[in-house]
Amino acid sequence: MRALRTGLLALLLAFGAVIAGEAQTTPAPSGNQPNPPAPLPFSDRGQPQADELELQLMLQGRREVGRITIPNQQAATLIQPAGREWRAFHNRTLAWVGGVAVLGMLTLLAVFFLWRGRIRMHDGRSGRTLLRFNLLERANHWMVAGCFIILGLSGLNLTFGRHLLLPLVGPEAFSAVAQWGKYAHNFLAFPFTLGLLLMLLLWIKDNIPNRRDITWLRQGGGIVGSAHPPAARFNAGQKMVFWITILGGGAVAVSGYFLIFPFFATDIAGMQLSHIIHSVLAVLMIAAILAHIYIGTLGMEGAFDAMGSGQVDLNWAKEHHSLWVEQELAKGRDAPAPGGAKPV
Amino acid sequence: MLIKRSDGRAAKQRLASAYQGLSAGGLDRRAFLRQAGITGAGLAALGSLGTGRVEAAEGSMGVLDHAQPVTRVKNICTHCSVGCTVTAEVQNGVWVGQEPSWDSPINRGTHCAKGASVRELVHGDRRLKYPMKLVGGTWQRLSWDTALSEIADKMMAIRQASGPDSVFLLGSAKFSNEGAYLYRKFAAFWGTNSVDHQARICHSTTVAGVANTWGYGAMTNSYNDIRNAKTMIIMGGNPAEAHPVSLQHILSGKEINRANLIVIDPRFTRTAAHATEFMRIRPGTDIPIIWGLLWHIFENGWEDKQFIEQRVFGMEKVRAEVAKWNPQECERVTGVPAAQMRKVAELFATQKPATLIWCMGATQKTVGTANVRAYSILLLATGNVGAPGTGANIFRGHCNVQGATDFGLDVTSLPAYYGLDENAWRHWCRVWDVSYESMIARFDSKAMMETPGIPTTRYFDAVTLPKDQVQQRDTIKGMVVFGHGGNTVTRMPEAKKGLEKLDLLVVVDPHPTSFAMQSDRRDGTYLLPACTQFECDGSRTCSNRSAQWGAQVVKPIFESKSDYEVMYRLAGALDVAAEKRNMPVRFQAEMFKPFDIRDSAPTAESLLREINRGSLSTGYSGISPERLKLHMQHQDKFDLVTLRAKPDAPAEIRGDFYGLPWPCFGTPEMRHPGSHILYNTNLHVKEGGGVFRARFGVEREGKTLLAEGSYSRGSEIQDGYPEFTVAVLKRLGWFDELTAAEKASLDRYFGANIDRASWATDLSCGIIRVAMEHGCVPYGNGKARADAWNLPDPIPVHREPIYTPRTDLIAQYPTLPDRRGFRLPHLGQSVQNRSREIAPNFPIVLTSGRLVEYEGGGEETRSNRWLAELQQDMFVEINPADAAARSISDGAWVWVRGPESDSKARVKALVTERVGRGVAFMPFHFAGWYQGEDRRGKYPPGTDPIVLGESVNTLTSYGYDPVTFMQETKVTLCQISAA
Amino acid sequence: MARMKFLCDSDRCIECNACVTACKNEHEVPWGINRRRVVTINDGRPGERSISMACMHCTDAPCAAVCPVSCFYTTADAIVLHDKDLCIGCGYCFYACPFGAPQYPRVGNFGSRGKMDKCTYCAGGPQQDNTAVEYTQYGANRIAEGKLPLCAEMCSTKALLAGDSDMIAQIYRERVQRRGYGSGAWGWRTAYRETVTI
Repeated sequence: MRALRTGLLALLLAFGAVIAGEAQTTPAPSGNQPNPPAPLPFSDRGQPQADELELQLMLQGRREVGRITIPNQQAATLIQPAGREWRAFHNRTLAWVGGVAVLGMLTLLAVFFLWRGRIRMHDGRSGRTLLRFNLLERANHWMVAGCFIILGLSGLNLTFGRHLLLPLVGPEAFSAVAQWGKYAHNFLAFPFTLGLLLMLLLWIKDNIPNRRDITWLRQGGGIVGSAHPPAARFNAGQKMVFWITILGGGAVAVSGYFLIFPFFATDIAGMQLSHIIHSVLAVLMIAAILAHIYIGTLGMEGAFDAMGSGQVDLNWAKEHHSLWVEQELAKGRDAPAPGGAKPV
Repeated sequence: MLIKRSDGRAAKQRLASAYQGLSAGGLDRRAFLRQAGITGAGLAALGSLGTGRVEAAEGSMGVLDHAQPVTRVKNICTHCSVGCTVTAEVQNGVWVGQEPSWDSPINRGTHCAKGASVRELVHGDRRLKYPMKLVGGTWQRLSWDTALSEIADKMMAIRQASGPDSVFLLGSAKFSNEGAYLYRKFAAFWGTNSVDHQARICHSTTVAGVANTWGYGAMTNSYNDIRNAKTMIIMGGNPAEAHPVSLQHILSGKEINRANLIVIDPRFTRTAAHATEFMRIRPGTDIPIIWGLLWHIFENGWEDKQFIEQRVFGMEKVRAEVAKWNPQECERVTGVPAAQMRKVAELFATQKPATLIWCMGATQKTVGTANVRAYSILLLATGNVGAPGTGANIFRGHCNVQGATDFGLDVTSLPAYYGLDENAWRHWCRVWDVSYESMIARFDSKAMMETPGIPTTRYFDAVTLPKDQVQQRDTIKGMVVFGHGGNTVTRMPEAKKGLEKLDLLVVVDPHPTSFAMQSDRRDGTYLLPACTQFECDGSRTCSNRSAQWGAQVVKPIFESKSDYEVMYRLAGALDVAAEKRNMPVRFQAEMFKPFDIRDSAPTAESLLREINRGSLSTGYSGISPERLKLHMQHQDKFDLVTLRAKPDAPAEIRGDFYGLPWPCFGTPEMRHPGSHILYNTNLHVKEGGGVFRARFGVEREGKTLLAEGSYSRGSEIQDGYPEFTVAVLKRLGWFDELTAAEKASLDRYFGANIDRASWATDLSCGIIRVAMEHGCVPYGNGKARADAWNLPDPIPVHREPIYTPRTDLIAQYPTLPDRRGFRLPHLGQSVQNRSREIAPNFPIVLTSGRLVEYEGGGEETRSNRWLAELQQDMFVEINPADAAARSISDGAWVWVRGPESDSKARVKALVTERVGRGVAFMPFHFAGWYQGEDRRGKYPPGTDPIVLGESVNTLTSYGYDPVTFMQETKVTLCQISAA
Repeated sequence: MARMKFLCDSDRCIECNACVTACKNEHEVPWGINRRRVVTINDGRPGERSISMACMHCTDAPCAAVCPVSCFYTTADAIVLHDKDLCIGCGYCFYACPFGAPQYPRVGNFGSRGKMDKCTYCAGGPQQDNTAVEYTQYGANRIAEGKLPLCAEMCSTKALLAGDSDMIAQIYRERVQRRGYGSGAWGWRTAYRETVTI
């Protein structure tokens, strides 16, 4: 390769000479008259110079689109300086937003844990349980959750893996991980979306915000203080998670589908916008869901059971969902005692 | 996204089966041919492989194996007439790569889309692979021998029943010079003058118009010489798409000289985008434009008075006609404002040298010949002929349309424009070494031998018209087509009927061509695979008259054969068929007598030697194969602008003009350098100088037709003189300067008639030699004719197109009255009178033209995947205002309806301001759809072009030039509606 | 070391597409992949310009900056290349590229768009020079042979210039001075943050 460089340079010179040589080989037919001012060709009339045009495009956020004969109309875009903004977003904004959101949330949770510790049941376990989520609800939750975790990790990998993982495992291994991550990301989008839809159908009736939610929020949901504001099946916090999941997840899913089917319904600007929406919402959701995971596991005693076995301790339920417990008890669906005890 | 990544079977095969079964040792010729048709190489693989490594499939290789030696072969691009050199890299008999041909003074390494993708032609998975015939509507494979003997038998049957004129022979501008010449000779031996080719439908009117003005029907200067021009008018041409590499010279010239580039066209073309002045005209008003320009020139005294006085005959009559075209009348008819006319006129007449460039916008008209004459007169009036930077730079179409025209694939002439009279026949009989009487016996009669044949624009009329309307023994019954598309001729619905009525249709072509598809024939159709010019040797003449030798790059692929071999073997098969029928006529032995036969084909070299021997009148006599090969070998020694071999060139070529642009007088040994610029009085005749040809007599209406006080440099006769004959030599006292051998030759061939032997018929070239020794041009020194009295319009006059939207102008500017020509009726005026009823329902003028990616009928280029991808749909350009009025959006399907035969075409709309209001444009390269029907299934399997579409000629209509029967493709009427 | 660039002189470009087919011919680029294309702006109007566009081999290339797997690299001649063995076909480079250079063999399928393909400046890829493997993945390596990209070499009007930045800028500058007009170096501001001063 190196040996050929000299040859290359020689050829470059020759090529230049071929083009530049026109001036010397051509005799001026009309004697030695100085050249008159050049008539401007049509293509230059009233048109900006290339660099001016590019500057305008950049400042105005426009694209220069022309005509092309091949069917791929994306190719008709000559210059799209917006690519630069997208790059700035991807490399800077998204990295910061993602970093701050995810790391910030983790830090926040750590601090909270240190300060508050695990929230225990006030009266301890009663030994009696109530069915909080049936099998369908739990299965669906875990499907969505599983998808979300993989989607989140593979997504984060596309944004941060190059800086975090690649130096550790090397390019080949990292590419393989990223490739499979991408496949997983693309394919799991479908069960994730289906799960969201089902979740919406299953839980929407219990997630309509009402006045109690304001009280609940005002009292810090009992997490910050020690009071336990009354709540129905879902308290305001859970409702927030629900709506974040449904709305945020929905938006992430929709914007994701634009990316999976490139240019099917949109153009390059739409693709860039889709990606921006998708990635920003995704990192915010990841942060929110981290909090959700914390509360559901480490943060609160008894909470995991709701999605684990589906059976929650009566005391836990009374503390956090007093109204729901009342409803359930009124329906006569008492919680069975552990060990298969008969309802009272 | 709905991108069409593949077009049916066309591309999928490539993508799916990359590298299947290529041998590990590299791609040899046999393996390649096995693979051709199912696979491509290289990046084709990238789409089909899985996640991890993109592996090269096992045992495969790149296109070029760097470990093996590479042979470089030079040939000429087979598309347009610019004549770009193609440098092919060959390994193991496979064309593996293409490199820039830096040394060629014509293209200097460059190509257009077509030239850069010619390699695909010879990979050819869509080529016709073996002979086929249509049996009951399906294609069957057969052997060459069977095919030829069946064809010969059918041809002889037609000959027996209806005479030789009932077989129409259609040749090709894709032939080499040698192939074209051989086919003309074949027609002569077959006994018909109905032998034609694409020049009929591209520049026949140019040839007629220009030859009738100053002697030779060809481009006067060259592409390279345009670099010298100070003002260029391109009128009726779009070289940016039709001759892209010519733009290298045009734009360089424009830049170096800060020249004016004026484009006059109904359409804002890609060329117009680079113009300094664009004049949009109403289609079909070329003559009013030229006369309008001349009106300003005469009015202001900008004409070149000395030039006119010395070298032009009959300019007064032009003045009288021009006087009618005052600015008001001009604007009324053409739509061009007076101020712009004046500006352009001033530029052209005063900023000299100025050149006029034209193409098919000028020629494909009912007034084509008159248009060309008017253009020539504009050049004459401003003294812009015969010097660097000036001239009629006529951009011809196909790669060898100039050569094929020169060699008489023309219903009106034997090779080299000798015409068809007895003198011409006697000359060529001498060249062919056959007796004149034996040639008469091959024809129906001596009269038919001297009657122009039926041209390609009307062959189908000669099939379908009643017998008594066609002036020959019988109507056309059979047709043999070499290298010609069927969609190139107007009135396709009529052509379809004609094709269906033929007994025999033979197509010899690398591709099945649209002839295979456009009719509903069920039997009697044969397809014979010809190879391309890359697969055989031969010379071709580009537009500037330079001949270039192309060497065989690879052997003919599949079962294809060279044109030479097909003709040789067909002649042999005809002999067998004649014997069977007890007919006395024989072909092969007599016709191929002078040639070296190798592998059942005459060699190109021996064919060119016979051309040298006979084609004295155009000066093809000095263009020997050896000289041409030397030029190709030393391309780098020629100057870019003058085209002259530089002082450092080897002695054998030093001083030659590149490609020996004809006329290259005398024998090769005389070393005439060729004539870069025709009629250039600033050079000695032996240096390529010239004068206007004294072709039309010496006197007319009491005025001399010979030049007055103008002569080429170094001429001993410092005035006009007639063409040289023995009689003239004797009068000048130069007769005895002929050598004994030359005199003996004259004596042998002319005997008592020796005084009538002329420079053009003296096979010894002695007369030419003596004339040139005295500095005289053998063809005489005449005046150019502004008044061509032998033409229907001696002075061009405006005539409205047959179908015109301006019916108000028909009365004042009618087309010529109905007449006959070329053995057929010609009903221009009767049809024109229909315009009045047609125009209200067909308000849009339809014009047609070129796309850069495709060429001609387009079968070859639409079968080339690299080109086909770039233009996937037939379209119609329509002005936004017209589109809005019809609720047509860009890219939508529309129906375009033509004024005849209830014709219609389903195409995509391209809404653009390229066309003005009331004008629509369609490219002419498409075929395969007919009035909304996709006829892909009619092609033999695997040979259908990748891209199909409606042919514009389904819509084009009646209208023929009275001189050449050129068809009208540029102005007809149509209506467009959303589909 | 040379700084390789492309420069398209739109006053010369006539949209003949030679660059496009030369590229296809040289690298056997399959149907649907357009490493180079010609775009015409202001079509049919005064101001109509055609510009041949491909990867401009940008300084601080955006594609390289956004690639999640970091598969791009820049050669000593400043040619931006990528490693198809590492590419995962995510499409990010297409969003970032100002010139629409990245191409994908498949579209509309949610599994993968395939390995990205783009103009290599006829410089092949990370494989060994001028091997069959390199050809299959990236096409010919003319640079290694001491040649320039074929699109520019075959440009019908010599509108498309390729070569060392200083050299092609000089050719263009002389051309503009000679003819008295010039529309500038297309894409240079965006790609190289500079322009050719006349």
